[in-house]
Amino acid sequence: MIRSLESLEEVLHPGSLLAEEADLAAYSYDGALDRARPDAVVLAKDAAEVRRAVQWCAKHKVPFTARGAGTNLSGGCIPLKGGVMIALARLNRILAVDTKARFAMVEPGVVNLHLQQELEKAGFFYAPDPASFKVSTLGGNLSENAGGPRCLKYGTTTNHMLAVEAVMPDGSLQKFDLAEGGPELASLLVGAEGTLGIIVKAWLKILPIPKDIRTILAGFGSIDAAVECVSAIVAAGIVPRVLEALDRTTVESVEAYSNAGYPKTEAVLLIELDGDAVVVAADSESVEALCRKHGASEVRSAKDEAQREKLWEGRRGAYAAMARLAPNVMVEDGVVPRDKLPEVVRRIQEITAKYKLRAGLLFHAGDGNIHPNIAYDERDLEETARVKAAGHEILQACVELGGSLSGEHGIGVDKRDAMAWLFTPETLDLFRRIKREIDPENLANPDKLFPLADNKSGRTYIKPPSPKLSEEAEHLVQKLRQHAAENRAMQIIGSGSRWRDEAEGLAALRTTSLNHIIDLDKKNFTITVESGISPYELHMALRREGCFIRLPDCGGTLGGLLASKAQPSLRDDLLGMRLLLADGSVVELGGKVVKNVAGYDAPRLVLGSWGTLGVILDVTFKIYGRPQEKLSADPAPKPFTPGPWHRAIKRAFDPKNLLNPWLFA
Amino acid sequence: MAPELGRLITDLGERSTYDAASQCSRCGYCEQACPTYVATGRESHSARGRNQLVRQLMEGKLKDPSAAQEALSTCLLCGACSTACYAHVPTADIVLEGRRKLAEEPPALVRLLSWLLIEHPSVLAVLLKCAYAAKRMGLPKLFAPLLRLLGFDALVEADAHVREAPYGFLFEKLRRKQWSENPEWLYFAACGPNYLYPRVGLATVKSLEALRGPGAFLDNGCCGLLSYNYGSIDDARTLAKRAIEAHEKRGKNLPVVADCSSCVAHLKSYPQLFSGEIAWRQRAEAFSDKVRDAVEEFADCELPEGTAKAVTYHESCRACHGQGLRTPKALLKKACGDSFHELPESDVCCGGAGAFSFVNPELSNEVLVRKISKIAVSRAELVLTSSTSCLIQLAHGLKKYYPQGHVMHLSEFIALRLSQGKHELHGKTTRA
Repeated sequence: MIRSLESLEEVLHPGSLLAEEADLAAYSYDGALDRARPDAVVLAKDAAEVRRAVQWCAKHKVPFTARGAGTNLSGGCIPLKGGVMIALARLNRILAVDTKARFAMVEPGVVNLHLQQELEKAGFFYAPDPASFKVSTLGGNLSENAGGPRCLKYGTTTNHMLAVEAVMPDGSLQKFDLAEGGPELASLLVGAEGTLGIIVKAWLKILPIPKDIRTILAGFGSIDAAVECVSAIVAAGIVPRVLEALDRTTVESVEAYSNAGYPKTEAVLLIELDGDAVVVAADSESVEALCRKHGASEVRSAKDEAQREKLWEGRRGAYAAMARLAPNVMVEDGVVPRDKLPEVVRRIQEITAKYKLRAGLLFHAGDGNIHPNIAYDERDLEETARVKAAGHEILQACVELGGSLSGEHGIGVDKRDAMAWLFTPETLDLFRRIKREIDPENLANPDKLFPLADNKSGRTYIKPPSPKLSEEAEHLVQKLRQHAAENRAMQIIGSGSRWRDEAEGLAALRTTSLNHIIDLDKKNFTITVESGISPYELHMALRREGCFIRLPDCGGTLGGLLASKAQPSLRDDLLGMRLLLADGSVVELGGKVVKNVAGYDAPRLVLGSWGTLGVILDVTFKIYGRPQEKLSADPAPKPFTPGPWHRAIKRAFDPKNLLNPWLFA
Repeated sequence: MAPELGRLITDLGERSTYDAASQCSRCGYCEQACPTYVATGRESHSARGRNQLVRQLMEGKLKDPSAAQEALSTCLLCGACSTACYAHVPTADIVLEGRRKLAEEPPALVRLLSWLLIEHPSVLAVLLKCAYAAKRMGLPKLFAPLLRLLGFDALVEADAHVREAPYGFLFEKLRRKQWSENPEWLYFAACGPNYLYPRVGLATVKSLEALRGPGAFLDNGCCGLLSYNYGSIDDARTLAKRAIEAHEKRGKNLPVVADCSSCVAHLKSYPQLFSGEIAWRQRAEAFSDKVRDAVEEFADCELPEGTAKAVTYHESCRACHGQGLRTPKALLKKACGDSFHELPESDVCCGGAGAFSFVNPELSNEVLVRKISKIAVSRAELVLTSSTSCLIQLAHGLKKYYPQGHVMHLSEFIALRLSQGKHELHGKTTRA
């Protein structure tokens, strides 16, 4: 509890402090079920005021929670420990739009739709389109790493962030730019759900509106047939902007509400292609043919805006229809590797039957992100308990199938215990250390994301075991452990192409023997490969399989390429990583799914870290069925000069400074 | 009788007020539709916030119930949130129930007005004439400090906003008029046209006669909206029953047309007033079925060609959100061609909202400024609308911030077009 608000009021604009009960009650909820009242609300007017409020919190050790539009579906902006709610709705200025350099500079309270409207005037758009885009704010979108239907082609929010400026938990103001060297702190803040600071300004990528858009609707006799069709489309190298699926239950409830005229089949796919007219025309022909080949009973195609809108009607109305069935709708959000979709659907059906519930399924089929929607009344405590239990079991099924806890809604408080299913204790410890080093007093949105120390939820790690480390990797782990036990500093050495000479007195950790492809998944279109392989060889190996990857076709090792961040867009398709830490533990970050917002984005943080955070053992990338644009690599990338936040991160990963120590000397 | 309705007619059927409020899932999709949230960024001033506060009030979760008062009293009751809401949660009705629950004493002026409207409409007419005479002499401005001192802030604001002071009232003129023995429709004179804008009522009647054949004057009293929004439910019921009876007496199969969309929306919602009284509920349903907004009646009319004056349309909240009427824009596009200018955010409240602009002048002005700026962006010279409150508010706002614009009721525009299609449009507008 705060003893006196007077000193807080003194640092704020008149009228910015709200402390009446109605206001505290109004900031006690978000779009989910959790509740907690803050002790005070700062309805900030500008970034400087946010900073003064955080400085006040830091000085008085008062917890604070940032909030945009409060549409969160995982309890992310519930002030669990009270304290100060920092509302960002009034920081709603679009500060600049530069169509030449293709970026927009915005405040965090700008509503996603308002940016879209502004960009449209110039013929541009901002790709992330979460369902809440008409009301949710860009600050919230960044903090949750929001997705949306369009992110199949364009990626999630993190793929459209260029830089952020944040008020850090100690009250300092810091800009993090992807263009700068060193570990990608900007990536770390995206999806951190406000636990590492408050984003007060962001630079976002903008794109020209595509010339042509084609929408296709197809009905399938089974979920399996629909998913196989999806896989075939991806395998053909076509990347639709949207690839949505609805099950029969969802279609029926939509049709009862609005007459969208969808086929009454077990599964409906809504596919949308965009780009240059010629490519779109050819691709949509292929897609239609593939749909028919996979047994689609009805295939409709639309070119003009009105026809397209008609095809979208059912998809858009899906949530609306559910929202009318009962006061509450649980929109669960799990991810599985795409080829596991039929299996997870069967599991969901079993689970909902067990709990006597009816779920309408809606999924971003292209990226394996499922949203079972269950309508219920939160005032019926017994029903609510069943809904929650079913939700948890659905998530367990996703994790057991090699997926993740959340594709776009975040972890917040609702899924924090479930994090122990997905991440090993070592990985969770790493996340906690990151939080502790950046926010030692645990003030920024406390008690979110990770299981609390006294978590007794019972179930622990249930993720299927990752492929075994290769013999060479095992050997490297043993070697590092030996050196670590002796507190001996080490140098990581790949092919030596980007690195200075071997330093004297440091034990060498050579990665070149780590050159195996561990898993090439052509159903899911991902590859897991060891870090010692040369990108050149990797390209060759993939081409032999008819697959392609977005990486520079260069020499050296893959690990060196990533650690030196010799090409800025390396981050785009990076999905997961196994990292050997300085203490000898191996942490598993990310996974095989293309959409994943569970936990801090540590894989991207490692980009540009020059081996100072850990040894990259293997990485997982998204791959394609068609040749990709050629990327170049900086032949002589420069190591970075660490700033204070890099040092904090270093302490979290390698507190004794054993790995490539001279960079932090 | 209880001070609250207790039951509401929602888009999902009749529900208890508590159930209706609980239908809000807090998804927040209404936030950007709420003009007071957009103006303040404050959750308690959003539709979701107000629903949650009423709900917590009913659940006894607010330690100090009066804490909700400001949040509830700043609601414009525009209903834009219900349009945005998938379940169409009737926030405006829920807010009113919350206000009733808090048992706010209605402002003295409202109590006086309600009492006069119910018991002594003729006295009200006399008093208003005196007030208008005083206004024409500039007395209220002179005595503004004294009035404010006496707690009549709203009266001072009202005087500052209202730029009209007609010499005669609409009902006086309509009673003198020759009407048909076999009317096709009945005209319901809402208080706005009646006491403030008689020319609007005359234009409606004239246009209806041209387009719908002969009609008659219902010679009604107040619809009861003032009591419903600011006074007591019992008063609202009394006035509703009178309107229903008047209609039944004049011919219950005839459509009842009125030209203030706020009142029309209220007339259409009469059944909600009588959920406990089955007989009256049925009579109310029969009545409400016959009620038409003037904008509905004009929706499919053919208008002669007219001027190239740049026209735009501000959708009165209680037409577009209260009744789901979106037709006037299509009509105007057809009738005006290129001289119809699309108004951005045309369905966002202007901040007039009945007595809101008199009671919450600052917030109302913030909403108004946004509206006028959109009108300026549309570069329209003539703004059309369909509710008394919008006419007052827009006339006030245009004079203050965009003096080249004028506002007029849709009926006036139609009447002018019908009478002088070939000539230049230079009729009397609601000149600011």
